[in-house]
Amino acid sequence: MTRPPELYACVYVRELPAQALLRLRPELHDKPCVVLEGEPPSESVCAMNTRARLHGLRHGMTKVEVETFENVMVLQRSPKIEAAVRTILLECAGAFSPRIEDRSINGLFVCVLDAAGTEGLFGPPLMLAKHIRQRLRSVGIVGSVTISANLHTAVCLARGLSGGVPVRVVPRGEEAKTLAPLPVTVLGITEAQDETFRTWGIRSVAAVAALPERSLISRLGQDAKRLLQLAHGKHPHLLQPIDVPFVLEEQAELDSPLDDLESLLFGLSTMLEQLIVRARSRVLALASVTITLRLDGGSSHERTVNPRVPTNEKKLWLKLLQLDLEGHPPNASILGVHLHAEPGATSKVQLGLFSPQLPEAGRLDVTLAKITAIVGEGNVGMAVLDDTRRFGDFHIEPFSITTAEPPSAATASPMCLRLLRPAERTRVEIHRGQPCEVHFRSRRYTVERVYGPWLKGGDWWNESIWGNEQWDVIGKAVDSSLLVCRLSHDFILKDWRVAGLYD
Amino acid sequence: MASSSTIRFQVESALAHRFPSALTPPARMVRPVVPTGIGPLDELVQGGFPVGAMTELVGDVCSGRMSLALSFLSQVTAAEKVCAWIDASNTFNPAAASAAGVDLRRLLWVRCGVSETVSEQETRKFTLPPECFTPKPVLKGLHGGGHGTHPRNEVKGLSAAVGKFLSDETVRARCAEPFSKPRPTPQTFEPNLRPSSTSVRTPRRGRTYDAVEQALRCADLLIQTGGFSAIILDFGEIASEVVSRIDLSTWHRYRVAAEQTQASIVLLSQYACAKSSSELQLRLSPLEDTNEERTVFTGLSAHVEVMRQRFTQTPSNVVPMRKPPQRAQDARWTHRASWVGPR
Repeated sequence: MTRPPELYACVYVRELPAQALLRLRPELHDKPCVVLEGEPPSESVCAMNTRARLHGLRHGMTKVEVETFENVMVLQRSPKIEAAVRTILLECAGAFSPRIEDRSINGLFVCVLDAAGTEGLFGPPLMLAKHIRQRLRSVGIVGSVTISANLHTAVCLARGLSGGVPVRVVPRGEEAKTLAPLPVTVLGITEAQDETFRTWGIRSVAAVAALPERSLISRLGQDAKRLLQLAHGKHPHLLQPIDVPFVLEEQAELDSPLDDLESLLFGLSTMLEQLIVRARSRVLALASVTITLRLDGGSSHERTVNPRVPTNEKKLWLKLLQLDLEGHPPNASILGVHLHAEPGATSKVQLGLFSPQLPEAGRLDVTLAKITAIVGEGNVGMAVLDDTRRFGDFHIEPFSITTAEPPSAATASPMCLRLLRPAERTRVEIHRGQPCEVHFRSRRYTVERVYGPWLKGGDWWNESIWGNEQWDVIGKAVDSSLLVCRLSHDFILKDWRVAGLYD
Repeated sequence: MASSSTIRFQVESALAHRFPSALTPPARMVRPVVPTGIGPLDELVQGGFPVGAMTELVGDVCSGRMSLALSFLSQVTAAEKVCAWIDASNTFNPAAASAAGVDLRRLLWVRCGVSETVSEQETRKFTLPPECFTPKPVLKGLHGGGHGTHPRNEVKGLSAAVGKFLSDETVRARCAEPFSKPRPTPQTFEPNLRPSSTSVRTPRRGRTYDAVEQALRCADLLIQTGGFSAIILDFGEIASEVVSRIDLSTWHRYRVAAEQTQASIVLLSQYACAKSSSELQLRLSPLEDTNEERTVFTGLSAHVEVMRQRFTQTPSNVVPMRKPPQRAQDARWTHRASWVGPR
C-alpha cells in the first residue's frame, strides 16, 4: 500500500483571549471589547475583538488609554477559560484527523493536522478547510485554515493571511510562490534577524528566498539555512502528534454576583448548546450534566442531573436543570458556572406496531422532576421491596421504563392492607388477653372476630427484643360501620396502634 | 315472491313513523375495556374498567377498594403497560401490591402530603454501658492477694503489716475530724428506647388539604404526559367533606384528558365526587368476614353495586311491551389473604 502524499492543515486562531471570553456571551459580539492582562495598575491590552480594532484600539494600550474610548467593554484575561477553549479547539481539530500537533503560543492558537489521505472522507483540500472552519464557527471561534504539502508553509501562510481570507490552499509545488509576497516576519524570525533584514532592505519572503545560501549563513549563522528552507517552502518537519482530549466541559465567570436563577438559565442555555454541538459531532448525546456554581464566600454548589436516556434536547436539559436548582437552590450569590457533561450513546427506540403505549422518555423526565418539586424528593418513583419483613420493607428508586418480562397477573383477588403511616394510636379494651373493644377515629368498635397474636420484630442473633405483637381484628360499631384492621401492640411502650386497614 | 329482505324493508317502512329501523339490529360500538381480574365484576360491568374514561370506586373505609384497584393494576402491568398510583394519604402498601401480582417496576408511586419522617422502631434495643461488662478488679486482701498458693504464704508480710498498723500515724486519735469518704455517685442506665428522629407535626387538617392539592396537580401532570395506561387516584383515606370540595371542572378536565391519552383513570374515594365525569361508578359495601377458620384470618367477601354506567348496550331498539329482563346490578366475590392457599 502506497503512502498518500503529505498534506497538512493549519488551524490559526488570533486573539484567543478575547474570543475565549466572548464565545459564550453573544450579547457582547456587537460591542467593542478588549482583554487586559498584567498586574494593576500596569495592565495592558492583550487581545480585542474586531469592533474594538475598528474603534482604533491597539495591543499594548494601557488601561488609562482604553478608558479614553467610549463604550468599550473591558474584560480580564482568564488563563483557565483560555485553556478550556484550547482543549475544545483541539478536540474540534481531532474530528478531522487523529494526528494533531499543538503549536500554540501566548495568545494564539495554532495547531497542525496531518490531513494526508483524508480526501475520501472530506473531499478535496478546499472542502476540508471549509469544513474545519465551519466546525470552529459552531463552537463560537473564528479562525483561519491553510492547507499545504509542507507543514511550515501552512503555518507561515496562516500567519500572513490578511484581508478577510479565512481559507487558503497551497497547490503542491507552489509553496515558494505562495509565500513570496508575504512579509518576512511570517517566517518567525527573531528581533535581531528582523533588524538585520531591515538594514539590508529585505521586506518580503521572496527577497529572502533570492539570497545566496552560503553568504547568508556566513552572516546570520546556521539559522539562516532554516530561514531559506522556510522561504522556499521546503523546511522538513517531523509531526509530533498529541492525544486529543474529549472532555465535555464549559465554564463561565459572571461579571457581577447573581441571585436570580432565571437569569442564570440564559447563560446555561448557551453553554448547553455548546456541549450538545460537541457531543453531537461525535454522534453522542449528553447522559448527565453536573453543574457547579462558584458561590460568594468561596464555597461551591454542585448538582447532577441524570435523565432516563441520554438526550441532546436543549430545552429538556434546561428544564431539568431549572427544576433541580429550584429544588436545591444555592445559599449565596453565584460568581461562576462550570458545566461538566458525561456523554452517552444516542438512543433510538424502535417501537413496535403492537407494543403498548409508553410515556416518552424526555417528557417523563420533566414530569417526574415537576412532581418531585411538588411532593418532595424521595416521594416519587417505583417501590422496590427489600429482603426483610420489617416495617418499611421497601425503598424508592427513580422510575424508569423497563422492558423486562412482567410477572403473570394474579388469578385470585388478594386481600390488601392499607398501611397507615404513621400507625394511628388507639385505645383497646382487653378481655381474657384478647382485644374486645377498639376505639378508633372517635368511634367505638366491638370486636367480633380476632385473629392472633403474631409476634413481629426482633432478631435472635442480637440483644433486640421481641416487643411487638399484631392482631387482625374485625369490629363493628353501633352504627354498623365496619373496621377490619391490623392492631399493633408494643409491650415496651405499652401502647396500641392501628397499623393498617384491610381495604 | 318477495324476498325476506324486501318484506323486512316493507315492514320497517310501514312502522317507520312509530319505530325507526325496527327490524335492523342497532350498530354495536365496541368500547375498549381492561379486565379487573375479578370474574363476577368483569361480567357485571361487561368486560372491565373502560379505557380512556374515568371509573369511580366509592366506599367506606374497609370496603375493598384498594384490593380491587390492585387487582386491576395487576392486569394492566401484565400487559407490559405502565401505570401510576397517586397516593393522597400515603397509605399504599408495596408488599401487598406485589402480592396482588402488580409489577412494581411498571408502577409509578407518587406519595403526597409526606411532610414528616417518622421512623418506627419495632425492635427496641436495650443496651448497657460498657462499664457493666468489664470485670470487677480483684479485691486485694491484707496479704496482697486473697487466696495464696500455699497456707504458709498467707502470713508473708504479716509482721510488716502489723507494724504499719500499729505505727503512730495510724494509732493517733483523730478527734471529731469529719470523715470524708467519697459518696458513690448513683449510676443510672437508660435504655435506648427513644425514637431516633423527632418529627415535626403539622395540623392534620392543613396536611390533608395540601395532600389533596398535590395529588390533583400530580394527576394533571401525569395525564398530560401521556403513556400511562392506568392512573389510580387514591383518595380512599381522605374524608368526604374534603373530597367533595374539589371542583367538578377538575374531574371534567381529567375525563377529557383521559379520552385523549386513552388512559384509564380510577378514583378511589369515600364520596362520589366526579358526578357525571365518571363513566363507571361502583359502590362497594363494607367487607364481610368469610368465617371459614377460627384461628386464621383467611379472607373477606366483597360486595359491589353499579351506581352508574354510561354507554350500556341496548339489546334492541324496539321498545318491548313487556318489562324486559333486568341485568344484575351487583356482584360478590371473596378477597383471599395472601397466606391462604387455593380453596
